[in-house]
Amino acid sequence: MFNTMAENSVILEKDIREKLNELKEADLLVGIPSFNNSITIRHVVKAVEAGLSKYFPNQKSVLINSDGGSKDGTMDVVRDTTTDFDTILVDSREGFFHKMVTPYHGIPGKGSAFRTIFEIARLLDVKACAVVDSDLRSITPEWIELLIKPVLEEGYDYVSPYYLRHKFDGTITNSIIYPVTRALYGKRIRQPIGGDFGFSGKLASFYLSKDVWETDVARFGIDIWMTTTAVANGFKICQAFLGAKIHAAKDPGADLSAMLYQVVSSLFDLIEEYAPMWKEVKGSEPVHTFGFEYSVGLEQINVNLDGMIEKFRLGMKELSPLYESFLPEDILKPLKDLTEKPKETFSMSDDLWVKIVYTYALACHKKIMNREHLIKSLTPLYLGKVTSFVIEAWESTAEEFEKRLEELCIAYEENKPYLIEKWDENV
Amino acid sequence: MNTIFDSVVTEPLKDFFQKFLKFMPNLLSSVIIFILGFVAAWILKIVISKVLGVLNFDRFCEKFGMTEELARAGIKDTPTNLLSRILYWLVVIVFTIIALSTLKVPAIENLIEAFFLYLPNLFIAALIIIVGYMLSNFLGRATLIASVNAGIEFSSLLSRGVKTIIFLFAVAMALEQLGIGRETVVVAFTILFGGFVFALALAFGLAGKDIAKEYLEKKFKAKETEKRDELKHL
Repeated sequence: MFNTMAENSVILEKDIREKLNELKEADLLVGIPSFNNSITIRHVVKAVEAGLSKYFPNQKSVLINSDGGSKDGTMDVVRDTTTDFDTILVDSREGFFHKMVTPYHGIPGKGSAFRTIFEIARLLDVKACAVVDSDLRSITPEWIELLIKPVLEEGYDYVSPYYLRHKFDGTITNSIIYPVTRALYGKRIRQPIGGDFGFSGKLASFYLSKDVWETDVARFGIDIWMTTTAVANGFKICQAFLGAKIHAAKDPGADLSAMLYQVVSSLFDLIEEYAPMWKEVKGSEPVHTFGFEYSVGLEQINVNLDGMIEKFRLGMKELSPLYESFLPEDILKPLKDLTEKPKETFSMSDDLWVKIVYTYALACHKKIMNREHLIKSLTPLYLGKVTSFVIEAWESTAEEFEKRLEELCIAYEENKPYLIEKWDENV
Repeated sequence: MNTIFDSVVTEPLKDFFQKFLKFMPNLLSSVIIFILGFVAAWILKIVISKVLGVLNFDRFCEKFGMTEELARAGIKDTPTNLLSRILYWLVVIVFTIIALSTLKVPAIENLIEAFFLYLPNLFIAALIIIVGYMLSNFLGRATLIASVNAGIEFSSLLSRGVKTIIFLFAVAMALEQLGIGRETVVVAFTILFGGFVFALALAFGLAGKDIAKEYLEKKFKAKETEKRDELKHL
């Protein structure tokens, strides 16, 4: 059994291999990838243990912390964390719970951490798995129930998270990732890059069999890769409403264009890989959502609209020779016109934005220039669309905003023939 | 009388004729090599065109902005055609030199020896220029996109500066490789580069102090506003 590990070149520590040999098999597995998360991971470990105890007391469960070489004692925190079962109204653990902490090997990144988790899931022949981020502050034991039960009891293979988010949160997801995934693969998965997922043991083995572990998937882009791989390969998909997602503040200096590059590049890689599949898909269908959905009032947040418009204009001024090399005139002209518009009337139509995104996907497919340069040049145009969206939805309620987002998604679906038509055209 | 005629006319003529006869095979092989050179160059041109076509060389050049630069320089040819033509003439020149060396004329032989000793320098210099040019384009564009995304107003200027400095650096390296004014080139480059930085510092610090002040103020204020931006992109 363990010889296959070498074949798959997933290196597991000796003590982990011994523990797995002792365990032989398990029913459930929850993985937590980490890197220097000693401050936040305790809460996550507690929530996972409580969730497994409360909702799956009779199942043999394993918690895996797959660490990227933390220097702040993250692994020790995981080892030392214990859960007070009285506070969660659980008398004592009836089932079996085992905690394992292991460093992962390979390219540094969340993808490599997941690979180790998938490998352990495969070796233990688990029925259902979940992965949750180590910097979550809002995770509750119920998340574990919602991510695992649809797999264990309803026969689903993949559970995508559905969080309660502010209308202006996740603008890359809202304006690119969700609508493109939906239009291309035909499933309305609202948060395809959520980060916390549930999946079957069968799907974990399938992920492991894919030859992507030396690519960018190992570094970044694992989230969209997991969702798209599940959808494109016909696995049974659902969503779980988890409530609010609050996590430790990200690096404030994080560069937007680098972030956009990582996410969009992963999305375009998958578009390339699954071209024969998505060309055949027409329209989209909702996926079943588990959990008790609710919404809360929206407090106004600060958005620097002037700054974003300024960056859009600067991009149009300075990068126009680059844009002219691959964007057609029917995209360039309205973009140029938009640079003249004041904030009050600043509006980028859905059709225009959709064509921009599809043309970028085509430019990447036809390799017209360095991929990183190309995708990073999308940043000013993306800021233009975000500005337009924020202005338009400033007074909207969460429901009204979702309706508006639905219109954008429909624009992506309606313009899909443009992408299909140009995909096989020679430059 | 006969002896005088022999020594003045017949002997030199005989001597010349013998030398000419001795030279004839060299001349003949030289002409053959020269003609062969054209044939080999023609075959190579076709092979190179096909290989570069398969390798999508034109697309590669387009990607690095070389096609655009060639067009700007008034060269309408595709990079594949251009390179195969350059190689064609390079082969013709090499064969011409070989043809000349087969003549076994000491003066020409000396010249050829010197040329062949110098040839590797020419190749390395050409390679430095090509790589430098491509790198300057690549980093120039990377600078442009990064500075636009950072909201820097004079992004084009910055990008052109990066591009020019890298290309000038490549030219200086190539000239040094060729041994053309070795010290002059290094000194000139150092003065030029140092002067450029100094001029920039002066222009920014003295002549453009108001612009600098305004820019820094704007940047500082922009940072403050950005801090208040609560939009989450992911």
